[in-house]
Amino acid sequence: MPFSSLTGAEQKIEFNRDIRPILSETCFRCHGPDPESREADLRLDLPEAAYAEVDDHIAISPGDPKKSLAWQRIITADAEELMPPPDSHLKLKPDEKKLIKLWIEQGAKYQDHWSFIAPERPTPPQSKSTWPINDIDRFVLKQLEDGKLSPSKEATRRKLIRRLSFDLTGLPPASKEVQAFAEDKDPKAYEKLVDHLLASRHFGERMAVPWLDQARYADTNGYSIDGGRHMSLWRDWVIHSYNTNKSFDQFTIEQLAGDLLPNATPQQIVASGFNRNHMITHEGGTIPLENLTNYAVDRVNTTSQVWLGLTMACSQCHDHKFDPLTMVDYYRMFAYFNTLGDKGNDGNAGINAIPSIDAVSALHSNQELTQLNKELTHLQDQLNKSTAGQKNWQQRMLKKLAARGKNLKLHPLKILKISVPNRGNQFEIKDGTLVDFETAGGSAHSISAQIPKSLKKPVTGLRIEFLPDEKSPHKRSGFGKKGFEGGFILTGFSVSATTIPSAQTDLYGLINIREATASFSNPKYPANDCLDEHNSNGWSPYPEDQQAQHLTFNFNQALDAGKAPFLTTLMNWGGGEFKMSDRLIARKYRMYAITGQDDGTNIPQEIQDILTSDKRSAEQNDKLLTYYTRHAPELANLRYRIGNLKDRIDYLGKPQSSLVMNTADKPRETFMLVRGQYDQRTKKVTPGTPATLPPLLKGAPDNRLGFAQWLVQDNHPLTARVAVNRLWQNLFGIGIVASSGDFGSQGAWPSHPKLLDWLAVDFIESGWNTKALIRKIVLSNTYRQDSASTAEQAKIDPQNRLLARGPRFRLQAEFIRDSALKISHLLSPRIGGPSVLPYQPPSLWKEVSHYGSSPATAQVFIQDHGEHLYRRSLYTYWKRTVPPPSMLTFDAPNRETCTVSRAITNTPLQALVLLNDPQFVEASRTFAQRILKEAPKNTAERIRFAFEECTARPPTASETAIIMNTLKRERANYSAKPASASAFLEIGESTHPENIDPVEHAAWTTVASLIMNLSETLTRE
Amino acid sequence: MNPFLDHSRQINRRNFFSQSANGIGQAALGSLLFPHLFPGSAEAAKSSVAPATSPSIGSTGLPGFPNFPSTAKRVIYLFQSGGPSHVDLFDYKPALDRLNGTNVPASVLGNQRVTGMTANQKSYPTMAPLWGMKQCGKHGTYISDLLPHIQSIANDITIVRSLHTEAINHDPAITFINTGSQQLGHASLGSWLSYGLGSENSNLPAYMVLLSQGTGKNPGQPLFSRLWGNGYLPSSHQGVQLRPGSSPVLYLANPKGISAKQRRRFLDDLEKLNQQHAAEVGDPEIQARIDSYEMAYRMQTSVPDLTDFSDEPQHVLDLYGPEVAKPGSYAANCLMARRMAEQGVRFIQLFHRGWDQHVRIRDQFPRQCHDVDQGSAALIKDLKMRGLLEDTLVIWGGEFGRTVFSQGKFGDPTSGRDHHGRCFSIWMAGGGVKGGFDYGRTDDHCYNIVENPVHIRDLNATLLHTLGIDHERLTYKFNGLDARLTGVEPARPILDILN
Repeated sequence: MPFSSLTGAEQKIEFNRDIRPILSETCFRCHGPDPESREADLRLDLPEAAYAEVDDHIAISPGDPKKSLAWQRIITADAEELMPPPDSHLKLKPDEKKLIKLWIEQGAKYQDHWSFIAPERPTPPQSKSTWPINDIDRFVLKQLEDGKLSPSKEATRRKLIRRLSFDLTGLPPASKEVQAFAEDKDPKAYEKLVDHLLASRHFGERMAVPWLDQARYADTNGYSIDGGRHMSLWRDWVIHSYNTNKSFDQFTIEQLAGDLLPNATPQQIVASGFNRNHMITHEGGTIPLENLTNYAVDRVNTTSQVWLGLTMACSQCHDHKFDPLTMVDYYRMFAYFNTLGDKGNDGNAGINAIPSIDAVSALHSNQELTQLNKELTHLQDQLNKSTAGQKNWQQRMLKKLAARGKNLKLHPLKILKISVPNRGNQFEIKDGTLVDFETAGGSAHSISAQIPKSLKKPVTGLRIEFLPDEKSPHKRSGFGKKGFEGGFILTGFSVSATTIPSAQTDLYGLINIREATASFSNPKYPANDCLDEHNSNGWSPYPEDQQAQHLTFNFNQALDAGKAPFLTTLMNWGGGEFKMSDRLIARKYRMYAITGQDDGTNIPQEIQDILTSDKRSAEQNDKLLTYYTRHAPELANLRYRIGNLKDRIDYLGKPQSSLVMNTADKPRETFMLVRGQYDQRTKKVTPGTPATLPPLLKGAPDNRLGFAQWLVQDNHPLTARVAVNRLWQNLFGIGIVASSGDFGSQGAWPSHPKLLDWLAVDFIESGWNTKALIRKIVLSNTYRQDSASTAEQAKIDPQNRLLARGPRFRLQAEFIRDSALKISHLLSPRIGGPSVLPYQPPSLWKEVSHYGSSPATAQVFIQDHGEHLYRRSLYTYWKRTVPPPSMLTFDAPNRETCTVSRAITNTPLQALVLLNDPQFVEASRTFAQRILKEAPKNTAERIRFAFEECTARPPTASETAIIMNTLKRERANYSAKPASASAFLEIGESTHPENIDPVEHAAWTTVASLIMNLSETLTRE
Repeated sequence: MNPFLDHSRQINRRNFFSQSANGIGQAALGSLLFPHLFPGSAEAAKSSVAPATSPSIGSTGLPGFPNFPSTAKRVIYLFQSGGPSHVDLFDYKPALDRLNGTNVPASVLGNQRVTGMTANQKSYPTMAPLWGMKQCGKHGTYISDLLPHIQSIANDITIVRSLHTEAINHDPAITFINTGSQQLGHASLGSWLSYGLGSENSNLPAYMVLLSQGTGKNPGQPLFSRLWGNGYLPSSHQGVQLRPGSSPVLYLANPKGISAKQRRRFLDDLEKLNQQHAAEVGDPEIQARIDSYEMAYRMQTSVPDLTDFSDEPQHVLDLYGPEVAKPGSYAANCLMARRMAEQGVRFIQLFHRGWDQHVRIRDQFPRQCHDVDQGSAALIKDLKMRGLLEDTLVIWGGEFGRTVFSQGKFGDPTSGRDHHGRCFSIWMAGGGVKGGFDYGRTDDHCYNIVENPVHIRDLNATLLHTLGIDHERLTYKFNGLDARLTGVEPARPILDILN
């Protein structure tokens, strides 16, 4: 049944609304625009073709179904004749047939496809109702009235502020803000709130999230080895542009052709990186031209999805089957994006694929830099004066030094196997215990070894003794290279124990190493530096390696050799100040299991002497304090803060690299490609826009800049509609056109066509003012409606397409995590900057990457610390082949290709993330700290505070009762098992106040987690 | 999964609205009233405010699927990542002994492209198989002596020697065979099955993935999560990776200090709170979320049960060989696959890395074969013993084969073989596939197909066919197209290899 019959109005068929979708879905693939697949030389997409008399037959005879052969073939009982043919698996439903018949009877009038006709501003319908407060409401109300529905009441102030905060900043409001707004008597309170949020620095971050999806933004190249790239300058530009309300036409032009603007600024060139966000390969053996073709294809497909809302991709291989887009259109557009000087095989070793630019971030501000430097001085000062834990630390160190070497015994390991699978260097095992490399090669060596069967004592660590080679030119222990003759650098080390021999380490059972010590370390390459897997640091005994030197790994937990007697180590070599180099491997070494205490220490002799002396000079005290502040684990978080600040100062102050567009000295020519195959060229084409859309303005430049300007011409039928529809989608969960990436024939009919046109025209006339448009929408009564659904609404309009109520939907992946961070006060307030690596389960990258065998970056995950664990989720490092798992679980795309809308699913894996991911467990722990600190002491008041922080409303009496019960039960649980409480509270690296009773803290952490897991907390209502 | 149906099922099950006696009718009513707003388009659902509330766990698949009686209920895909050499493993040509060391003639090479790694090689010397081959099974098919255990199951498998692909490099090739397209953004094989057929077990995902590292080449060619990703399908159809260790599924284990009993009581409280809110706002999504927490809780038991091998008798462990004792090894993953098959996991995919012998094939290849030989054969024997092979399709193969010519100087110990997509060999067993059967033939150089070519699209169509799916009918509306696993190019199931 058509929409109009519901309204009781006379059933007037409208081609675009009622008929085109049916013909497009069932008829156009054989009788549409694509000549290749056209059957019987008949097309039904054009009236003149459909009405034409051919061989005494007329496909569609206006007003006369009987004479219309198409209709007769639709209703025939003869399976041979039936249309659509049964083997196509396409079928017309009885309602659809009825509509087609009615349409023919009413004259079979065609309309041009609606979205290809430039919008005109429609007059808003009038109504006696006082409900509408702006024109948006007038359009919505008209359709509600037609549908016998009425709008819902306005949502409560509490709901509204929460809704607005999420929609405009991606963050929940604090309970204080909620309270203030709920009690604000100012009639303009809502408007003021909107303006306040639109001016928030977090607005740009919120808006950037969907834009990054569309732009397929990521921090790695994506194909094959998936090495790292640097693109955060572009992301900074996006955030900054939204925050400064850059007009959408300028936003468009700069991203598509900023590099071609006259006197382009560095920022405009950075912006052009939009179309370098695509995947890039440096896989050996690939054919550069094929890759370059793929890149240009991606630019065309992405650009047309994002700005035109068209599925141009179809026309890469054939004329579009549904829309009037030809292959010529495709390759003419391709020609715009095929002229840059990029290379078909590029981007390895963490160096951006050309072309790139070095520029300062759009977010650079002297004010912030001054502030950062102030903060840095303050923190350094604080660190230098941190004496609180020093005594305790000294005692620990003295104890440790006294225990040095206690019961130490070395037990030589039997070497079973050396694996250097990818290289042809020569090595052998001598005497069963000596690893002997005769030639250099391979930067990752796996050694499989066996602990002596006789060893019954717990194994406390592993020692490797490196031996100089008398026969080598420098008589040292490595192969060395210029400037490091005869030396080696161990950049990474991991070890696992197994029940049977294993050629490779068990990625999921790696032994935790507490500390590495060495008999000698080059000051640039201290022992502990081989424990993190950065290639840029490591351990080396050079130049003292003309004697044997050893390195000892102390295990966190002693190993029972009886249970797992086989050790496998992975040793990574090379790097440091040099590029990854096969030459920097060691020649000969033996391995030992150790029992008892390591006799090594990382405490320098001088500090040892000070520690043990009874009387210390002021100078000695200073030295001791300095050593303590630089090395004590209890001050790690403070040191991380300082390190992160320095990085931030560095990033904001200095130029960074970013991928951009340019024009090659000799731009590539563009040819039509048979079936899209890069090597099957036919005729040469020149740049141009699709013929079915308005032409370029006279005198427009014949390049990307002309194309970009064309997109934002006033008479362009698509760009503004597509853009406002996406903004609408951000706020309502679904666009006025549900298929926000397809405004073509196969796309969805708009739920409110006139409203869409009104918004589009208004947007253009406002000067493409994004904030003004959002403001208009969120000020409407349509937006402000309560989102609870009545039985009647659920019955008539379960999907809420007519907007008789406010929209409600689960928060996006990023905002779920950001909310938890904000509620728990962990969230870092910084905007922009390079991507960060918060918590992640171990080995997710290694299990699929080329770690150890490639100079490409981003092969091994090395977690960040300090505030980098708590940045907003849009800054989380995006490795395309292994995207952040908790983001994927909540429906984030993998960013390999342009995505214009995300699904919303509901899976058990999401529950596991929210309950068990350390990020969320830690957030509930620190949220509990807040509850205990900030809320009144009364339990009910505390519950109310917690509930309001998460949902912006006070709990009902029965909700409070349930939560009280949880608290009571968990108090009892943890009182009975205080050790469990402590274990639970240890999760997460953030500092832990010591003045809270662990039992109370753990019980409240459970309560915090309960409230943070409420469906309501995760939903924007 | 049909999001509209699922949505309405939710409403129906808990009777959110007393007036709505029949929830299914409700959504159906909506779509009748506003046909243009309910185009039945999954894409509309994708961005819809009423989310697709169907975790792949416990979902029932699409109505009308399977389309016809199936011979397989589930699939185990033993993916050999990197491109195993068909020349050395399965495609024996006596003529190669004679041709050893001679240049592959131009007439055989033809004008098809080779990779950038050998495109500039001056000559293309034929390199005969470097290891022996034996005639096995009642039909005397040839299998390499590097695979003695697989030799012993010759009567249970069909070897297809005429598979081919257009891709010549890893990334496009492995993406092509696993998602049906060399272009990005498509849904993986397993996610299609999760979407089409749903899960047989309400406590485990429909699609599970296991990775292992090869010893032939380490690290092997990289893998990508897109190979088990959902592409344009809802993300609930993503393959779920199972790993060794204490949290086999990410975040499965409760945090330290939280017992299972505490978790149970916590979830009861959470449900009570969520129910109260649901009653107030009438959103069926809340019920779906409650259900998802319950499923998560059930997974906390069902997954550890699955990964605990302590109930396996010694003779079964022995069948898989000593490596089965090492969690995460290929052999252990094969046994895990059998356990998942028993539990009704629809699609189980192993990825074993390291088949990429450009160099040092003489050292690397025997190790790589040894990694997988016993586990693969044991899986077939084990399934057969339990009567599971009948309705479990097992596939063993990679993304392409390798060149008959030597990459690098002929006879040099560092030489190897380059990628070859013109023809390569795989084997299949169970699920209605013939045992003791060969299909397809290549020329004397194992370079071009001379009989019964099978495109990788045909392989995927065949796989779907055994599951009772017409590959042309398993579609998903995306960007205006009815996207499907086998794409728009012609594809056909190879009925000749089926019983």
